[in-house]
Amino acid sequence: MTSAPESTTTLLSLRGIRKHFGGVVALDGVDFELRAGEIHALLGENGAGKSTLINILGGIHHPDAGEIRVDGAVTRIESVADADRLGIRLIHQELALAPNLSIADNLFLGREPIRFGLLDRRRLVADAERLRDELGLPELGDVRLCVGELNVARRQLVEIARALAVRVRILVLDEPTASLSESETEALFGKLRRLRGQGVGIIYISHRLEEISRLADRITVLRDGRSIGTQRAADLDIQQLITWMVGRDLKEHYPRPPHAPGELALSVRGLRAPGVNDVSFDLRCGEVLGLAGLVGAGRTELAHVLGGLVPATSGQIAISGRPVSLHSPADARAAGIALVPEDRKRGGLVMTQTVSFNLTLPWTHLWARGCMPDHKRRDAIVVRAMKGFAIKASSADAKIGTLSGGNQQKVVVGKWMEQPPKILILDEPTRGVDVGAREEIFALIGRLVSQGMAVLLISSDLPEVMNLSHRLVLYRGGRIVGQGMAADFTPEQVMAELTRGVPRNSRPGEDAPNPQESSRPL
Amino acid sequence: MKHLRSILPLLAAIAVLLVIFTLWVPQHRFLTPGNLMDLAQQISVNAILAFGLTLVILIGGIDLSVGAVLALAGVACVSVLGVAGPLGGLAAGLGAAILLGVANGLCAARTRMPPFIITLATMLVARGMALGFNESRPLPIGPDQTFILALGNARAGGWLPLPVVVMVAVFAVTGVLLHRTRFGQHLYAIGGNREAARFTGIAIAGHEVAVYTLCGLCAGLAGVIHASQLYSAEPAAGQGFELNAIAAVVVGGTSFSGGIGALPGTLLGAIIIGILDKGLNQAGVHFSLQYIVKGTVILVAVYTDVRRRNGAVE
Repeated sequence: MTSAPESTTTLLSLRGIRKHFGGVVALDGVDFELRAGEIHALLGENGAGKSTLINILGGIHHPDAGEIRVDGAVTRIESVADADRLGIRLIHQELALAPNLSIADNLFLGREPIRFGLLDRRRLVADAERLRDELGLPELGDVRLCVGELNVARRQLVEIARALAVRVRILVLDEPTASLSESETEALFGKLRRLRGQGVGIIYISHRLEEISRLADRITVLRDGRSIGTQRAADLDIQQLITWMVGRDLKEHYPRPPHAPGELALSVRGLRAPGVNDVSFDLRCGEVLGLAGLVGAGRTELAHVLGGLVPATSGQIAISGRPVSLHSPADARAAGIALVPEDRKRGGLVMTQTVSFNLTLPWTHLWARGCMPDHKRRDAIVVRAMKGFAIKASSADAKIGTLSGGNQQKVVVGKWMEQPPKILILDEPTRGVDVGAREEIFALIGRLVSQGMAVLLISSDLPEVMNLSHRLVLYRGGRIVGQGMAADFTPEQVMAELTRGVPRNSRPGEDAPNPQESSRPL
Repeated sequence: MKHLRSILPLLAAIAVLLVIFTLWVPQHRFLTPGNLMDLAQQISVNAILAFGLTLVILIGGIDLSVGAVLALAGVACVSVLGVAGPLGGLAAGLGAAILLGVANGLCAARTRMPPFIITLATMLVARGMALGFNESRPLPIGPDQTFILALGNARAGGWLPLPVVVMVAVFAVTGVLLHRTRFGQHLYAIGGNREAARFTGIAIAGHEVAVYTLCGLCAGLAGVIHASQLYSAEPAAGQGFELNAIAAVVVGGTSFSGGIGALPGTLLGAIIIGILDKGLNQAGVHFSLQYIVKGTVILVAVYTDVRRRNGAVE
């Protein structure tokens, strides 16, 4: 561990930063301090508010309240240009590169060298090569290559090189090593340490504890939009960090229904697909099986295979003991599987349409046979779903976008319940949902399960997945790395297991998960 | 060289078409210097339109109004020739075209209306304005207007049609702008990843207005040349020209979703479309069949392009 000499110049300080999106509180009073020549790690579960915080620093979001000081002076960061002027450079998780341009073009986008008013391509390439060599990033390779032809790891390096191409005082990296190999990670760390030596303040976001403990000088934990505590890496206490990360002090009520496993609903053996490696598990009727894993672990990929969106490359899936092959979502539905996707706005709802349109969309064969729609039948479906799931909307004809996140989610679940499926797959069912609505969704899951439905619950919210599930499957790198009764695990055990040495050398196209894949629209 | 590789299939297609029509057109009338000069002359107007459109399509836009703007520019130019002289006429034609280009650009940059709809509307407006002149009748260009008439009909050195000279000049200027300046570089960035361009601090709105304006300017220039070639400005001229120009752009390898393409490709695309038109005509193919052949060629060209590209990137 190479700790830089302790610096005391405060570069950036945040006090009481608040931000909410609609009804959802993303940041609820964050305090944070960054010194010159320091690597300060920001740690927290998914949804803890890390991304919102750095977007505020980058001028992309604006805080509702709170104070930002740079060099001790109160500052407002209104735009990307403001952030640039302050020397704040963001490296986003979602890469902001032009795939149709070369590496060199991207590195100097907006600052291209000019000669006699014309683009000096030769110098552009030479400058890019010089930058590559100065930064010691030989892995960048031929700078004339088109970015679209690079794998994710090299694109990441282009992003990093671009951020370092200009004077930077505060560098923010969001999960920069997600797709880097061991040696690339080492090279990056070397780079960051050198920058630290030059007095740059670095905010480093990751949920890899091992990595953070090697790199950071201080570590701040964020949870539920609040800063929970800060530790010096010198007296690092991993146990303490994990407790900070998972210890939810919200008094939430998790109505886990009694565990009454019935017949075998779903049986998966040796399942393989892109991002899914040899997965086997059973799910019984009247049971909630929790799939705990971090974002990028391949959970969504598994859900997509079971939902018939992506074909399995090998392995067996059996429903109620009968082998099925799922080539399309229609196959999955016929087999009795309903998937509530991770991104409800993209995969779950027709956002331009009304509540009733969405609720009746899966059932057109019931109410719109031939050319005479059966409005009575359609209305009956709508009323049943809205009553049964307590969907709060001004009317059944309200646009779906006017509903709160929680009520939108109830529509996504409710639209399948006219003829309930045997197996319900919920991918992050409470993302972007406020606390009250979360509890309603929990209650809803409990009710469905006590009626005999089998539920596969995918969530990166640890308390949620641990308290709602009867059994738990720990999922990392597309593999099951542990399973058992949920009650037998402690949150600390689970978090330690999920964050342990996340598999390296994950390259797109191989069976390790590709974070870009999972974020692609269906 | 990257560019050479992407235009090689187009050069090959041109060679194949030349061979086919040399053998097919009776009495070896196709591959003669005189016929090729005529061909070049006929290609010029479409090529100039297509150069402007390439910029628009590169940033993910579209301009359906170029055919109507072409007619309006011709009419505007010829109608003032008598009072304002040739330069005044040229200014009036180009000015009208630029005006509509700016309108397209402002709407595209400042509103969330899709460019397809915006330019569909300006297409109708421009057509209506053109038809408003002279009760929709053609405006003949007086025989004393030697400068304007020369623009479409004279031959430099006695053999090179002036429209071809203008086309080459527009090609050179637009090519340098697109491939040798920051402005052009930023168009590629906007077309490739709008968000990335925005985060980099590129003024997207300004670039958008400029691109639609340049496209309008190209249409105006083409309009004056077209009127000169016809010895009169026809308010109904240029119907469907936008489609021929779009065909040249996409056959030339510019991606309709933006960010990918180059000006040499568009030139070759315009040449391919031009050879098809002239060759099929001279071979005596019925015009109904000509449409079918052209449609099929466009489909095949774009299909192979898309396949090649997906193979390379993914």
